[in-house]
Amino acid sequence: MPEISRRDFLKLTRDGFLYLSGALALSGLLRFLSFQTEPALQTEFDLGPAENYPLNSRTFLADVPAILLHTNNGFSALSLTCTHLGCTVEHNNDGFTCPCHGSRYDPAGNVTRGPAKNPLRPLLVEKTPDGLLILYTN
Amino acid sequence: MRKLIVVATAILFLSLSLAWWLNARQPKPVELIPALTGQSEYCLTCHADLPEISSSHPIKTFGCVRCHGGERLALDASLAHSTMRGGANPSDLSVVEISCGGSNCHSGSEADDRNHIQRVMTSVQSTYAGAIANIRFTFGAQTDLIAHFGINAITDEETKTGLTSLSAFNPASDDNSFIQKFGDNCLTCHLNSIPREGPLYARQTGCAACHSTAQHTLTTAIPYTQCNACHNRGNYDLRSMTFMERADQPIIRIEDYYQPIAQFTQCEYTLDCVDCHTRSEIMGDGDIHSNQKDIQYVQCKTCHGTLTQLPLTTTLTDPNDIAFRMSFLNPVVDIKIGDTMIVTEKGEPLWNTRVLPDGTYEMIGKATRQKFIFRPVMGTACEQKPDEQGSQYCHKCHSVER
Repeated sequence: MPEISRRDFLKLTRDGFLYLSGALALSGLLRFLSFQTEPALQTEFDLGPAENYPLNSRTFLADVPAILLHTNNGFSALSLTCTHLGCTVEHNNDGFTCPCHGSRYDPAGNVTRGPAKNPLRPLLVEKTPDGLLILYTN
Repeated sequence: MRKLIVVATAILFLSLSLAWWLNARQPKPVELIPALTGQSEYCLTCHADLPEISSSHPIKTFGCVRCHGGERLALDASLAHSTMRGGANPSDLSVVEISCGGSNCHSGSEADDRNHIQRVMTSVQSTYAGAIANIRFTFGAQTDLIAHFGINAITDEETKTGLTSLSAFNPASDDNSFIQKFGDNCLTCHLNSIPREGPLYARQTGCAACHSTAQHTLTTAIPYTQCNACHNRGNYDLRSMTFMERADQPIIRIEDYYQPIAQFTQCEYTLDCVDCHTRSEIMGDGDIHSNQKDIQYVQCKTCHGTLTQLPLTTTLTDPNDIAFRMSFLNPVVDIKIGDTMIVTEKGEPLWNTRVLPDGTYEMIGKATRQKFIFRPVMGTACEQKPDEQGSQYCHKCHSVER
């Protein structure tokens, strides 16, 4: 094994520390530059082809949350966010019930029991020329 | 010189490594955007293990910051907690209005029966006005038994009791040494006070004093043991002006419920306090009162009637009746329009009761879910005088032996 001089050893050690430090600093910089903020709240939902929702169907959309109605008048949607404090209401035979404070709404979203005072919010549903349904929560 | 450069590069490397290591130890941030606030918060990064506080306050809707305060974006514990309200208890009465208030929450209108905070603030459980008035009267500091002082100064312009305000009680400034001692030793049972030490007295302050029976839990199914963190634990000795703990070491319910000297009936110790005593009795009715007796009005006859009168009842016709809200919060019984239940003389429904077709009555324990069937006094051999309806008269025949 060849002997290494003291000078070379110190140089090697210095360079090693410098390279490792550089690598650490560079990875930190890359991490900093690649930081991504949380995505904004989704306000537009692609519901897919309209024919997936037959006439007189009521489809629960958990991601929104909302319920999509298909009647003779076309497509419409109701937000399932309780107008009292914002809990997600549950769909049942009589309409909707808030699991947090017991507000009740009829199938059309009108309040039948407090503490909520306002009806469930209607949401805009549009059908694109190629037959897709888009739901907007704004 | 070369040696110095090597040492410098080593220090640089170690510093960067330390920074990297510290950064790597940071937990991965967990974001929550509650529906109620719509603002990001990162409390769940460290507190994901806490149980949901109640079904009425789901984390996805409320988040943490709406109630607790704190720095919602901070990942450093000290910084995140630096602006929390009430420490770990945002329901402490010093901060409750900010934490729990709001017209849709707990400081809404009296008409909507959402004035919880206003009611609690003026209640004797909070003001301790009765005890203070009695002590001041007993030791000559006032000439009547009307409340003039409360734990905190409070006003109520719309009071129906004639008491529009209480001044803040400051026993240290009183010349009477007994009143000073009372201030030092005897103010441990009101909703603002730090409880006495020991597991038997363990409770929090504010709303959580009654409604929190376990860590990070809010409930209306309050067992008697929660009430007994203050009640039935002993007596104040007026000579030494100190609290004297009850001497026994009760284990079973019949012995633990009341103090050894107390008389009680079977229903008094089998039921929980909240099964009979109403919201306005316990949380206050929104008015300032001079003592507990002014606000506590439920008696044996509320459920059992008298020899000449059946208990008052009401049949539910309004879907917004408070009975529905109460049974929703603590669903021990499924009530519906058309149900007939006992109602107090002030019109408060005992929503956990029901009139049965055979003329008897049913009560479901709010904390135990136990079913109790009971009869009215009318038509029995009871000889109770109509004007003697206090429990002490019923105890003469119906008290149980321990």
